[in-house]
Amino acid sequence: METTRKQTMRGVLLFAFNTDKVDYYKMAINTAKRANKFLDLPVTVITDESTDLTKYDYKFDNVIIRPANKDNLKGKDIWINKGRYQAYELSPYDETLLIDTDYLINSDKLLTIFDLYDDFMCHNTTSIIMVPDDPQEKLGLNMPNSLWATVIAFKKTPKVKMIFDCMQMVQENYNHYVNLYNFFSATYRNDYSLTIALKIVNGQSEDASYYIPWNLVHVAKNTYVYRDTDTEYTVLYDHWNRGKIKKEYITIKDMDIHLLNKDNYMELIDE
Amino acid sequence: MDTKTLIQEAKARFNHNSAKAYLKDKYDSKLIVAEQGGLWKATPELISFLYNSTDSHVVILDNYSNPVKVNREQLHVTLRKTYDFVMEQWHNEWKQLESKR
Repeated sequence: METTRKQTMRGVLLFAFNTDKVDYYKMAINTAKRANKFLDLPVTVITDESTDLTKYDYKFDNVIIRPANKDNLKGKDIWINKGRYQAYELSPYDETLLIDTDYLINSDKLLTIFDLYDDFMCHNTTSIIMVPDDPQEKLGLNMPNSLWATVIAFKKTPKVKMIFDCMQMVQENYNHYVNLYNFFSATYRNDYSLTIALKIVNGQSEDASYYIPWNLVHVAKNTYVYRDTDTEYTVLYDHWNRGKIKKEYITIKDMDIHLLNKDNYMELIDE
Repeated sequence: MDTKTLIQEAKARFNHNSAKAYLKDKYDSKLIVAEQGGLWKATPELISFLYNSTDSHVVILDNYSNPVKVNREQLHVTLRKTYDFVMEQWHNEWKQLESKR
């Protein structure tokens, strides 16, 4: 008798809602190209109807149109980052890598997560390039380390659904959780709603198996990245010392980085 | 302007400490291996323990502090291979970076 075995579909999911200042769709295309190249995975993008899908010459495997929630400000600018909890429902994949568009994929390292995780993983530790001793970000005073929604790997299981449902609950009642956990944040952050949601789902206990066992590597805003080759970059840093700036640099290769400076990211995009 | 010229004109200095930290970030994670139902880091200590034990199966705490009964020889071979491969790459890249001034 012939039997068929359903193949597990793995893929990358990106959220890209353009604002007046940042072309997140263009960033998503760059991330998708690099996901295709380094991870050999299909990519789905979630965007809104204002995005001109014909503007750039790249075809996503899937495009999902959803209304943009513009109810969040970062400084004076609109930041459309709400609704990330929909990833569970909208992902067409059995196993999904949900990645921020400002995460520069520069190796195949993310594929390792598929061998390591049960059904959900995210980063709980970070390091900052050129600032080796920077402390971990905490949710608030005397609170645990913040988790990072920059890279989330998940399968579609009942427990993972609870995590994303809980992120929705935190987003919809954000001020309540700001008061409850006693942290300061006028701006809604997915990192914080993820931190709170995972704590609630895990009964306020720590479970290391949910954490990616390496650091999320940030490039801070006072650091500039220059492209040498497709996988090699020079990182230039202004080191303030006794009122003077010393320029310092290192070169990096074959390592993923998370660029906090969106303008810098745009300059690294292959045309 | 290419990056080399930019570095020269900015009179930027290569930061060896940051380069060291970058390499640690990059290669530490490559030492992590999932095998026989546990998650392991290929460290000299664990490799030595596996090498020096005589039983065919041993119970060890994995990275998540779960006791896992493993085939000693099989895990030793995997971790030793991983360690040698990753440390060789780490060393080579460090030598390259160290030559920068």
